[in-house]
Amino acid sequence: MNAKRVGAVARRIVLQFRHDRRSLGLLFVAPVIVLTLVGALWGSSATSTVRVVSVGDVDPQLYESLRGTNIELSALDRDAGLEALRTGRADAMIEFRENSANVTVEGSDPTRTSQIIGQVEAALTHLILDVPLTAFVKVSYLYGGPDYSLLDYLAPVLIAVFAYFFIFILSTVSFLRERTSGTLERLLASPLTRGELVTGYLAGFAIFALLQALVILAFTVFVLKVQYRGNLATIFVVEAVLVVGAVSLGLAISAFARNELQAVQFVPLILVPQIFLSGLLVPVDQLNDVLHALSTVMPLTYANEALRSVMVKGYALTDPLILRDIGILAAFAVLMAGAAVGSIHREVA
Amino acid sequence: MSIPVRLSAHQPRGRIPDDPNARDVPPCRSLVASLAVEAREVRKRFGPVTALDGLTVTINAGEIYGLLGPNGSGKTTFIRTLAGLVRPDSGALTVLGASPRAAVAAGVIGYMTQTAALYGELSVDENLRFFAALEGVREADARIIEALRQVDLLDRRASAVNTLSGGMRSRVSLAATLLHQPRLLLLDEPTVGIDPSLRREFWEHFRSLASAGVTLLVSSHVMDEATRCDRLGLIRAGRLLAEGTSDELVARAGAQDLEAAFIALSAAAA
Repeated sequence: MNAKRVGAVARRIVLQFRHDRRSLGLLFVAPVIVLTLVGALWGSSATSTVRVVSVGDVDPQLYESLRGTNIELSALDRDAGLEALRTGRADAMIEFRENSANVTVEGSDPTRTSQIIGQVEAALTHLILDVPLTAFVKVSYLYGGPDYSLLDYLAPVLIAVFAYFFIFILSTVSFLRERTSGTLERLLASPLTRGELVTGYLAGFAIFALLQALVILAFTVFVLKVQYRGNLATIFVVEAVLVVGAVSLGLAISAFARNELQAVQFVPLILVPQIFLSGLLVPVDQLNDVLHALSTVMPLTYANEALRSVMVKGYALTDPLILRDIGILAAFAVLMAGAAVGSIHREVA
Repeated sequence: MSIPVRLSAHQPRGRIPDDPNARDVPPCRSLVASLAVEAREVRKRFGPVTALDGLTVTINAGEIYGLLGPNGSGKTTFIRTLAGLVRPDSGALTVLGASPRAAVAAGVIGYMTQTAALYGELSVDENLRFFAALEGVREADARIIEALRQVDLLDRRASAVNTLSGGMRSRVSLAATLLHQPRLLLLDEPTVGIDPSLRREFWEHFRSLASAGVTLLVSSHVMDEATRCDRLGLIRAGRLLAEGTSDELVARAGAQDLEAAFIALSAAAA
């Protein structure tokens, strides 16, 4: 492998980015805008108030017992209560009978419904026992804590997903252009080997991928103030191996697209299953056997596991789990780089 | 506008080292030094399509060889085979005494594709600097100036390729092909989309390169260009129908001009 030729390819990619200011800007601005939105959405640790309507007269003791909780109680007649539920002005309606309480909820959003039912049940238990819940339930945290927000839990996954997502699209489209514009043909009719070409691309894109990863990490930690326990350098190492793999995946995938429109269509096909199965929405160990097996061949799964272990649990770089995950991510990057080299061969031979 | 001819500037490179990784068909049994290209019974199929059907062509060093044929006749496939981009299914092929890939790796082949293969966002200078680095060109600055002077584009050195006209891009593409002073130039329809005066200048430049010892293989389907070549090969359906000088082919076909000769020879072969 000739280092000068590899360097020439890498330098050319840097120059292309430098001339294409808009792409360069988007590379850093786009993830920051998306992260800002996510931060605003999930950054608050406060739980929302549940508005409960009680049918008929309400025992003043009930008001008293709900004091300090996040349940807001009001009294209405049954029809007005149902109307309040339908129009979204109430979350639950309680009808007290002799030995029971009937709870009616709007019910169209399963997540919100289970949250409401959970809180109403806790409040009713509270009422029946006539002691504050905190008197007999004491919570201790192995990781995280009472101030932990959903964003703190999701941030490690979001860092991985955004770093992966943007650079994958860029490298796919960029290499596709090389294939379709005729320049690839011209390059392969020069002393440049396919291995040198892919290595040069990896080197050129890695510079921007790492810079982007750094921006995403810095924004998450210093601006969104996501809580983390592990070493920032360890987080960056995991991110770096991941994004290099994203570049090589992009180079390999570009072989399957004939134009830029097709390349963009590959994005959901390649990325969405990884995002869904890598632990962002559902923990990997709760997936069924087929989905779990699928998740084990996806690099984002290992990146998420490593980043969560470092950020939430404080694992060190030398921890066997982190080393294993980094090893798998590195192997994936090498495998995809090999696939990219192979795909060039198929096209021209 | 004219393209200054600078014969002394072009000093084709020397011997091609053996390439242990050569992935082409075996070279011909022996090489005569005066042959730049020797292809024997070269066949290539792409699925159901036969692109080269036992093509046999020899090109002498220092001559301009015109490959004539209609669209889809196999001209580009043959050129891509010589450039090491396509591996023949069978046949023997030697380029400057070596396999095509070894010749490409040694930097003695210059390949100008049909459409200008350049990076639009980059300037002319950045494009040429990139190709010079790939070919291991020494004193790249001087060579770039020289090549741009040869195609009369020195004043557009800093311009982004995207801002150039189609003809200018073709000239930059030719300059990129000349940077490393190749001994064999493969020019795939180099004058498509070029205005007549620039086309004439291109051909004057090709002639000056041939005078300096460079071999040129030029594909075309424009008959008036063909008369400028030293020898012509008429190709159709991947086979060589006839070969010779323009006058020889016209005489052989008993035709009035080359176009009529081409039609007559094609009909005779059908």
